[in-house]
Amino acid sequence: MKALIQYIKQRNLFAVRLSKAIKDTLTITLKEYRLVFRDSGVLIIFVGASLIYPLLYCTLYKNETLYDVPVAVVDHSHSVRSRELIRKMDATPELKVAVLFDNLEQAKCAFERREIHGVIYVPEDYSEKINRMEQATISTYCDMSSFLYYRAMTLATNYAVLNAGEKIEMERLHAAGMAGKSAEVSVHPMTFKDNILYNNGMGFASFLMPAVLILILHQTLFFGISMLAGTAREENRFRSLLPVDSKKRHLLQLITGKSMCYFSLYAVLTAYILGVIPRLFNLPHIGQPVALIGMAIPFLLATIFFSMTVSVFMRNRETGMVFFLFFSLILLFISGFSWPRSNMPSFWLAISWLFPATHGIQGYLKINSMGATLRQISFEYISLWILAAIYFVTTLIAYAWQIRSCRLRTAESGKDAVGLSNTITTIN
Amino acid sequence: MFYKSRISLKNSWKREFKRISERPVYFLGPALVMIFCSVFFLTLMEEGWPNTLPAGVVDLDQSALSRTLIRNLDATAQTKVVSHCSSYSEAREQMQKGEIYSFVVIPEGFERNLQSGLQPAATFYVNDTYLIPGSLSLKDLSFMGHLTGAKVKQNILEARGITEENLQMAAIQPVAIDAHLIGNPWANYGIYLINLLLPGVLQLMIIMITIFSIGMELKEKTGPDWIRTAGNSRIIALAGKILPYTLLFTLLGIAVNFLLYRYLQYPLWGSMWLMCFATFLYVIASQAVGIFFIGLLPVLRDAISLGAFYGLLGFTYAGFTFPVEAMPPSVQIFSWLFPIRYYFLIYGNIALNGSPFQNYFLWFIVLACFLLLPVLVLRRIGKAAVKPEYLTK
Repeated sequence: MKALIQYIKQRNLFAVRLSKAIKDTLTITLKEYRLVFRDSGVLIIFVGASLIYPLLYCTLYKNETLYDVPVAVVDHSHSVRSRELIRKMDATPELKVAVLFDNLEQAKCAFERREIHGVIYVPEDYSEKINRMEQATISTYCDMSSFLYYRAMTLATNYAVLNAGEKIEMERLHAAGMAGKSAEVSVHPMTFKDNILYNNGMGFASFLMPAVLILILHQTLFFGISMLAGTAREENRFRSLLPVDSKKRHLLQLITGKSMCYFSLYAVLTAYILGVIPRLFNLPHIGQPVALIGMAIPFLLATIFFSMTVSVFMRNRETGMVFFLFFSLILLFISGFSWPRSNMPSFWLAISWLFPATHGIQGYLKINSMGATLRQISFEYISLWILAAIYFVTTLIAYAWQIRSCRLRTAESGKDAVGLSNTITTIN
Repeated sequence: MFYKSRISLKNSWKREFKRISERPVYFLGPALVMIFCSVFFLTLMEEGWPNTLPAGVVDLDQSALSRTLIRNLDATAQTKVVSHCSSYSEAREQMQKGEIYSFVVIPEGFERNLQSGLQPAATFYVNDTYLIPGSLSLKDLSFMGHLTGAKVKQNILEARGITEENLQMAAIQPVAIDAHLIGNPWANYGIYLINLLLPGVLQLMIIMITIFSIGMELKEKTGPDWIRTAGNSRIIALAGKILPYTLLFTLLGIAVNFLLYRYLQYPLWGSMWLMCFATFLYVIASQAVGIFFIGLLPVLRDAISLGAFYGLLGFTYAGFTFPVEAMPPSVQIFSWLFPIRYYFLIYGNIALNGSPFQNYFLWFIVLACFLLLPVLVLRRIGKAAVKPEYLTK
């Protein structure tokens, strides 16, 4: 009987402590919310940037790809065949024959003035060579200042030339007395169909924006938390990160409380960035909501704890922005959305695993653009949870260290104060 | 008069160097960032073009022909067959996991149908979520398709008694393309990007550091001392403050030029001197933008936010990834507000095309015009510096 009472007491004690801890945590969350919403600088980053950046970038890349890139044609063949070839190129969605020149020198001038982004040269003997059953060659000159000019030029000229080639083959077979199905079989003994999966317009926005959306979440969280930490240092006594009266035994409540504030705020922003924006701008959005939410939770947690750990080193409000803004670019490229991960040096590959953005971008691309399930992205999913756990521990360590060094300083200055007052009394 | 201002300028410099020595990180930081970015981008894209992109095959035919096809695919420049799948869904799953960028499905009876003249069809699947490896894989797959088709046609021609090689080529490929890729004949991906990415990081650092160095005077309320040291001249105060940084950033920019165009032999058709002069103008234009921002919003944190927004947008508006003329017309015009846009135009002219000076001297003048921006805010900066109460927190 006695034992039972004791047991209930013990349990009650635990329940009391638990409810106290929860209350403390919520108080800290609310306090952090007040900090965020009172600070216009942080609010601009957390809310302003998260709302505006996706809209802005989606608008800039809205057209997805290049249409009708202007090119010049220098046609020395002046034949039916060459005119047909040129018409075919003009008819592609990629190119537009903007101007005809008499010689390459004129075309070069226009090219250098950036009026045209490519030149197609058909030599004098083009038609004759074909009639003589020889291989004819046309020359193309391509603006290489952007990958998209090169791609447009290559796609369109290849298409037109292959098409012309097939027609010529057909003609020859007809001339040789072969017609109908058997001629067609000779030209195409077999066929190849190409299917472009997941980004079938080969669009630039559909390729870039999913990565940028994740990066916006990652970087606004990082810079916002850095700014909060820098501000705390500027305003607190002894330039400490945490309030001077922070206790070590409240560490868990402190970290949970703060991260709950960021997490709940970003749950809403994530829903907007990953849920609304892709639909609004017709970016790929074939992901299952369950998989997306499942990935977003560890991604946000890992990012929050990563930022909280790094923020310990921010001395000023603005330090983070000044020195780590360029890192957005590094994170974007190291994630492997552009330069493929299969071809990255293993050193950078290993480094990339340290950042939640890498797994976030890869996971999001696979779920949202390619319709993968959580099972298929298990590598990214598990990595994100591991990162969340690791950075949670590092945050604990960093905050504990901050509290300790702060207490040491307080103690020291306390001694100083006592010493000073002693001196003053002596003087008096 | 002249002598006096020279003394003030000297004093301003002395004061600035003292400030820098107290916080060396704001001077060394940009240099470290540039070194890090150079190493990062150059080692990341060391190969120039990605080779051995992983591909899969679903060979349902298991014939001599299908094996030839797979061998041909493996032998293309940039694709490597890493996985043999038993079904379409297995291959698709690997693609969704990101293990392969493309796969080809060879249906059952492929060889048999070819021999019976039934025009069998094989199918390529390419993942263009990853645009670069996707586009390259598609290129290789189509090439392999043509190659295999050509081989079959060649066999047919030989069976008909046409054995001469150029006759065969003319019959298989009547028209060929001789492509000239101006300035980047290898279509090297690093040359597309790094030439602009590194100057892009440079302008980002210039704008942030310029705003920071002036903004800290305002924030720490050392403005009166700053102006006083310069003999109460705002121009001298500003010159004293930013010239050390002009020197630093110009050196960094020119170092990048030498690294790319001399050491790594990136294409440079025009003159190196002009390129370096363009870099210099680009540096001071970016500084002018920084001064303009802190003058416009003389509160450090606001100006920093504006600078960050503008600096990142510069990468888009330069137009080296996605051409400006493909953007919606209503937002195209803003590209003229970014020094990096002119730098890109000058770079294309000098480095890639080697075109005559009259084609781009205008862009030099526009870059120089950015120097008028600080004049607009000179009074405001002076006021903010001398009367710290002019600021809100």
